[in-house]
Amino acid sequence: MSSEKREPRQKNGWRRSLKTTRVGRTYLVITVGIGLGALNTGNNLLYLVLGFLLSIIVLSGVLSERVIADVRVKRLLPDGAFAHEPFALRYEVSRVKGRAFAVKVSEGGGTLEGWAWIPTVLAGSPVTVRADVTAPRRGPLRLKQVQISTFFPFGLFEKSRTVDLEDLILVWPRRGFSCDPPEADHGRMSGESGNQRHRDGAGDIQGLRELGELEDARRVHWKKSATAGKLLKVEREREDRKQYTLRIDDDAPGDHLERACEETAALTNRLLGEGNDVGLEAGGRRIRPASGPGHEKRILSALASLGYAVPRSEPLP
Amino acid sequence: MRLADRRKWRLRLRDLAAGAAFSAVALSGALPLPVTVLFVISLGVSLLGRRPFANQRVWSVLALLAVAVVLFGLVSRGALDLVVAAVGFATLVTAHRMLSEPTPATDQQVLLASLLLMAGAAALSGDVLYAVCLLAFGVFACLSLGLSVVEGPIERDEELPLTPVLRQVSIGVAIALMGGIAFFVLFPRLSWNVAARRTGAGVFGGTTGMSDRVRLGGGGDIKTSARVVLRAKLEPAPRGDRLDRYWVGRHFDLFDGREWRASGEPGMPKPRIMRAEVGGILQRIELTPAYGSRTLVGLEQPIYFGPATALGNTGTSPVQLVQVGRDEVRFAEEANAYTYVVHSRSDVPQLEQDRAALEALHALPPELDPRISELAARLADQATEAEDVAPLFERYLRNNLNYTLELPGEVDDPLTDFLFVRKEGHCEHFATALAVMLRTRGIPARVVGGFFGGERLGERFVVRAGDAHAWVEAYSPARGWMTFDATPESGRGSRPPAIFSRLVDAYERLEELWRSRVVDYTIIDQWEFVRKLVRPPAGASSAADEPDPVGPAGERTPTRAILGAFAAGLLVLLLWRRFMKGPSGAHPAAGFLVDVERKLQGLAIQKQPGEDLEALTKRLQSEQHLLAEPLSRATRRYLEARFGDRPLLKEERRALLEGLERR
Repeated sequence: MSSEKREPRQKNGWRRSLKTTRVGRTYLVITVGIGLGALNTGNNLLYLVLGFLLSIIVLSGVLSERVIADVRVKRLLPDGAFAHEPFALRYEVSRVKGRAFAVKVSEGGGTLEGWAWIPTVLAGSPVTVRADVTAPRRGPLRLKQVQISTFFPFGLFEKSRTVDLEDLILVWPRRGFSCDPPEADHGRMSGESGNQRHRDGAGDIQGLRELGELEDARRVHWKKSATAGKLLKVEREREDRKQYTLRIDDDAPGDHLERACEETAALTNRLLGEGNDVGLEAGGRRIRPASGPGHEKRILSALASLGYAVPRSEPLP
Repeated sequence: MRLADRRKWRLRLRDLAAGAAFSAVALSGALPLPVTVLFVISLGVSLLGRRPFANQRVWSVLALLAVAVVLFGLVSRGALDLVVAAVGFATLVTAHRMLSEPTPATDQQVLLASLLLMAGAAALSGDVLYAVCLLAFGVFACLSLGLSVVEGPIERDEELPLTPVLRQVSIGVAIALMGGIAFFVLFPRLSWNVAARRTGAGVFGGTTGMSDRVRLGGGGDIKTSARVVLRAKLEPAPRGDRLDRYWVGRHFDLFDGREWRASGEPGMPKPRIMRAEVGGILQRIELTPAYGSRTLVGLEQPIYFGPATALGNTGTSPVQLVQVGRDEVRFAEEANAYTYVVHSRSDVPQLEQDRAALEALHALPPELDPRISELAARLADQATEAEDVAPLFERYLRNNLNYTLELPGEVDDPLTDFLFVRKEGHCEHFATALAVMLRTRGIPARVVGGFFGGERLGERFVVRAGDAHAWVEAYSPARGWMTFDATPESGRGSRPPAIFSRLVDAYERLEELWRSRVVDYTIIDQWEFVRKLVRPPAGASSAADEPDPVGPAGERTPTRAILGAFAAGLLVLLLWRRFMKGPSGAHPAAGFLVDVERKLQGLAIQKQPGEDLEALTKRLQSEQHLLAEPLSRATRRYLEARFGDRPLLKEERRALLEGLERR
């Protein structure tokens, strides 16, 4: 039964790739040159140097394999990420035994550009590192593989091992250029928001009144209510804010949709920054106008999934 | 270790690697002096941490290009060898990179340029010191590269433990060296030593030389030199480790009272010179750069000088021989070192046909002290022939005069001073006295310059600079030229200081091994190696000649090969397992836990089933046990070290364990 407690092995067959670095290419050229010199002249000292150089190449293969063979990686996904903008993706790198040096962790398959660098990983001491990565597009991005590479021991080759590790990250649209905002909403307010008399702003306190039916209980002044024996609501001055509902009518995938999403994201950010309430109608989904950073994330997430079918089983950030 | 320290170590290792590669080239003696000086200065500046070219990239590169143009010009005019020029340029590139901005890329460039230096040095020199330089270069370069790789693309000032990195790279380098040797031994040779330069010009130059004159006076400093000037393989090989024989170089026939000179004009160059029918002792001789002369040397009565090869800065080439006068043979060209073949026969009387030449050997200095003639006449008495007179003179000189190397000051008549005033001198004085005394008796005599002695080192005999010697040849009409030596036996060989001599001996043995096993390693040696591995060598058994009960030699089980393969396989397996296992998978703090538990057992504290250290500590605390407090501290510290990434120091560990003991 103990096997059930084990972490699933991240070793899926012998999937290795080898790239020669710039210095490695020069090294190989020199090795070939010395080899030709040794063969042509029969100079035994050149054979000796050649033997050493070839052994270094073999040794590079063995030591780099030793470094990447037992490395385990976990992704620590961020709350959100904008397309085409660097964001922090963290990895927890660990080893069960031995040590690893000069480890580079990146996303396999080129899903995200960027990598994290870890100088040393000791057995039993997981290291958390940050990679500044960039997503190439908006939308749900399925991360399937992690690539673990090393230049160890001599930097002549970059040996990589690909590990299957699935995650889903929702990439928000880039906040691009935004045009003038649409006209503010009129007569479409719901609840108290349409009431010109309501005083539920964030300004100075104007007074207390009894809480009406269906009114927001978060405005109750509990101390005064306890004293008065009835629920009293705090009335505050309301700033002069407008409500906007941004719309994307055509959600057919394409360049048009991408630009619309980017513009909407930029506009949302701008209008919220100006203190307005912003809502969204797109792809058959409606988000009520509201404000706050959490609300912006809701709109961005809705924009991110526009045109994509997001699996319901996958919780979105 | 912080970033600054890491960088300092990395650069030092890099510079040391470059220094080792440069040493390999410099030891060949082929590198132009300005290049050598520039590199040494650059290395010193770099080791001091100064990078003057960091802000002078353009100008420094232009200067380097200018040097390249100059070197190319010298090569095209034939003033400089192509390999030497290439190595010289690589040396300057290495120096330039060392003094530039220190980045990982620059480090790699320095090391790659140094690798080219090592390759160039392999083409320029075959000394055993090359192996030392290669080893040093490999170790330093690999460690520097290892540190550079761990540093990563972006240098960050964070604490990094470098000992594990260095340890792993060091083990790797050791394995790589073994792999290199295995490759060297087993890779089949398709050609050998076509363009190899088995020896360079040497750093110290020639020691002895054979000068055209022998001037009496001065000390005998050369007798203390242990440098090897000649290596000879003799066939048939003589028995014993010492070869007390004369190696003939030059003959001096004209004496003016102060110095001896050789007469005779050089003849036409020839590929070989033969004086009698070939036979006797065959000598394959190698004159080292320490010899420093063009005169060929051979065992007494050389009768044939065979094909010779010159080892110069431009490679190996055949060289012709020139006969000077009647007895001296010289190489037609100057080179760093030479190899040639000599045959010597002592059984053939060397009769002189040239009467005029013999008459010339009666000549005496015009102002010869009459006491010398009187002494000779008194000693010779009635004897007239060389074989009778010379031993009498030899005996007198050996018994009445002393051998010394310390002869300060100049005297007007060194021979008279030696015989009648100071009564001590070195081999040249003894030889001069004997020759002159013989001449006063009408016996043709001449002084011979060469070497006396020879020590066995492996398959060859070596002759040192300190073995330089002078003796006499006297002519007997019945027996031809005969050798006589008046120098006491103690003064004939070299007299190097004991420690120095031992060091040189050790070096020479290593050099011999290096030459026979590495520099001159051929496909025949490879075949022999494999054959010995597969079959036992012939004669290994004392009963080799007896019929083999198992069968013919070819059908025997190759036991040695099987055992060798098994041992090699086992070694590889052990190394692989050790290597793949790496350091223990256990956390460093686990050892502390084991020690604590051992202490508790020693103190009769028994853990209950399933009780870990934390639970035990709590139990002891609840029982208000004496050990509760120190155990609590130890447990807390263990947990911090194991899970809190706070390593446990040795002193701290000892103190915690002692705390448990004291209670």
